[in-house]
Amino acid sequence: MIRSADSGPAGIRRFRSRLLLAMMGVVVAVTASGIYFAQRRADDDAQNDLRGDFELELAALHRLQDLRNAAVADRSKTLARNPRIHAALEDNALDLLYPSAQEELRGLMTEAGTTSATVAAELQAQFYRFLDAQGQVLVPPTSDAGTLSPNEQRLLSPPTVPQTMQTGYLTQSDSSGQRSVREIIAVPIRSTETDEVIGALVLGFKPVETTARSTNTGMRSGILVNEELQLPEFDQAGEEQATRAVLQSLTRAGEREHSLRTTIAGVPHLLFYKRLNPASTYPPAYEVCLYPLTQLQARERKLRAQILGAGGLFLFGGFVLSQFLSRRLSQPVEELAVVSEENLAQRQRAEAELQTTEEELQRSARFSADASHQLKSPITVLRAGLDSLLARDGFSQEVYEEISALIHQTYRLTGVVEDLLLLSRMDAGKLRLNLKPVDVTHLVEEWVDDLQAMPESADLKVETNIPAELKVAGDPKFTALILQNLLDNARKYNRPGGTIRISARAARGQVELRVANTGRGIPEEAQPFIFERFHRAGASEDVPGHGLGLNLARELARLHGGELRLLRSDAEWTEFSALFLKAAPAGRSPDTAK
Amino acid sequence: MKHPAIFILLALMFSFSRDGRAEIAIEGTVGLPKTQSAPVANERYEIVSEAGVLKTDPPRAVVYLEGSFPKPATLPVKQMEQKDLTFIPSLLPVELGTKVEFPNLDDVYHNIFSYSPAKRFDLGRYPPNERPTPFQIFDRPGLVTIRCDIHEHMRALILVLDTPYFTISDPQGRYRLTKLPAGHFVLKAWVNSKTTRERPVDLADGATVRVDLP
Repeated sequence: MIRSADSGPAGIRRFRSRLLLAMMGVVVAVTASGIYFAQRRADDDAQNDLRGDFELELAALHRLQDLRNAAVADRSKTLARNPRIHAALEDNALDLLYPSAQEELRGLMTEAGTTSATVAAELQAQFYRFLDAQGQVLVPPTSDAGTLSPNEQRLLSPPTVPQTMQTGYLTQSDSSGQRSVREIIAVPIRSTETDEVIGALVLGFKPVETTARSTNTGMRSGILVNEELQLPEFDQAGEEQATRAVLQSLTRAGEREHSLRTTIAGVPHLLFYKRLNPASTYPPAYEVCLYPLTQLQARERKLRAQILGAGGLFLFGGFVLSQFLSRRLSQPVEELAVVSEENLAQRQRAEAELQTTEEELQRSARFSADASHQLKSPITVLRAGLDSLLARDGFSQEVYEEISALIHQTYRLTGVVEDLLLLSRMDAGKLRLNLKPVDVTHLVEEWVDDLQAMPESADLKVETNIPAELKVAGDPKFTALILQNLLDNARKYNRPGGTIRISARAARGQVELRVANTGRGIPEEAQPFIFERFHRAGASEDVPGHGLGLNLARELARLHGGELRLLRSDAEWTEFSALFLKAAPAGRSPDTAK
Repeated sequence: MKHPAIFILLALMFSFSRDGRAEIAIEGTVGLPKTQSAPVANERYEIVSEAGVLKTDPPRAVVYLEGSFPKPATLPVKQMEQKDLTFIPSLLPVELGTKVEFPNLDDVYHNIFSYSPAKRFDLGRYPPNERPTPFQIFDRPGLVTIRCDIHEHMRALILVLDTPYFTISDPQGRYRLTKLPAGHFVLKAWVNSKTTRERPVDLADGATVRVDLP
């Protein structure tokens, strides 16, 4: 129930604002999580895109490397089969080694001064060196095998003579001091006779250039080898920053392909790296790819703006919707509140009215009682006076008749007053019933005997059909009063030579007594009102009565837990039905009621 | 030769008259590495390399006497044939300055060359029965690995020795050097490209010295 404190307009407003607040909270939470997840998804997508680029790049790289390695391996096999190279290695004729190989390797070496733009350029070696059976570099007598500084030459020598093809990387300085990474492939040369490794050929290539490097994703890639990283379009500081980032990540996460975010030259970058020569005896080298996040961040900013815009729109829509919904939802509550307020007012009014009515009723009941008492004594005095006048001699016959009529009127007056007194007591709820088994048969018989004594009713025929010893639970006095009322009416409103039929039967704990009489019926329009006070249903003045009888009888019947009804009233018969409670078997007396 | 006895006598007299002494010889056994394959009866063997060491298979040794000997005016011409895509013989000891011919008895081209420090040469590609027969004069002592540029498996060794006294052992390592001068020398046995055993020997007239080089 809504308390009166909350049912006011302030309570409604508070309820509505609370509802709105809760809904807005939900909308904000949904929007925020939506933005968060959308952003994270976008972030992941972007990173995955870049990772995909990196993978693609590496795949292309490895495809080209495989192609080249196959070509190199094939070439080295041919070399190893070459008796002259075999002879040079076995006979220690190193001066003849390089000249002997020159012919074989001519197709593999870059022609001086020519720059080929075809894929075949990837297969052109920049330099080559032979290693002896101990893995030491055999220094060529001429520069035909490509120039290398002694230090660079030293890097060509693996810790042991390679048993399988090994890939390594080194940084080479050219004549102008420009540093560039060279990919080196060491191929063992095996004796065709014993399959022993009698030496090795090391070839130096330009690292494979992939097409991805030329796309405009802003990607920079380089090869990290010997803690040195060459990155195009970066100064040395930037290269060192990237190198540090990768080396730190390497010590932390190992050689597994990895991605990390780092800031290089003040610009955040996404960095991927992967070892290029896994399981090689040469020092590890890593392909390092850097994606400036400026573009990505711009994309993210745009996306964020879009997401935030959408979120804002959603938020706004949510607010509007929640406003609308909260109003819609609170409306019934408000209505309920208003209705309940009205109800309360009505109830209060009704209660007040009830109070007033009760008071009035009490007052009127008291008034009736008082009035009845006040009236009874003057009537008694009046009748006593009239009786003494009647007893006196000396008046004419007319006077005596007049006095007799007056005395009769005093009796009638007494009856009215008594009835009123009784009714007022009932209205005030002050009537007490003394319930006991009452013999209906006996009561009817008494009345019939009285009837026989009345001269004006001598020609009336009375038919009774009442089971013997039929007893009802009732106050003897008031039960007799009800019966008398009904039977008197049947007599009074009968026609001369008419019939009164009295029947009774017991059923389901009740006793129904029917009293029917012949004579003029009660007009149909008057029938609903016959039980009202001071109503006389079209009774002519010659019929005695004061219009309280039926009302009193019904009130009494109801007080006894019974009922009084008009069953029918037509030209032939007028029949009433009175219901009583059947008397309980002997030994038990029914409860008394107020 | 109707009178062999006279011939033998004459020969003996001749030899005696030249040296004025009895014949000196060295014989013995060179310890050879054991091989998995059973010794074959014929004279053919090939050159194999193992861990960079060239040797004959089945193993044989070249035993020679090292010292200062007068140079002969002429030296016999030796031959190393190429037949059935191999060199015959595979191991050829020659005296310094010997001319070795390389006749091609196969149906295909060969290209004989050597990168060995003792003798570098390249005969170029030549057809079967090339005339004049390609040759080389080996004028530096040492081991020369002979190869064919066309057939990578073909290999032979020429051991150039600065002595006229040398011989090849049999597969069991047995050898016999005859007609040796008297004096103090070093007896050497070449086993493979990395192994040469030696022993000083004093040779006296008419004696057959037994020297084992295990």
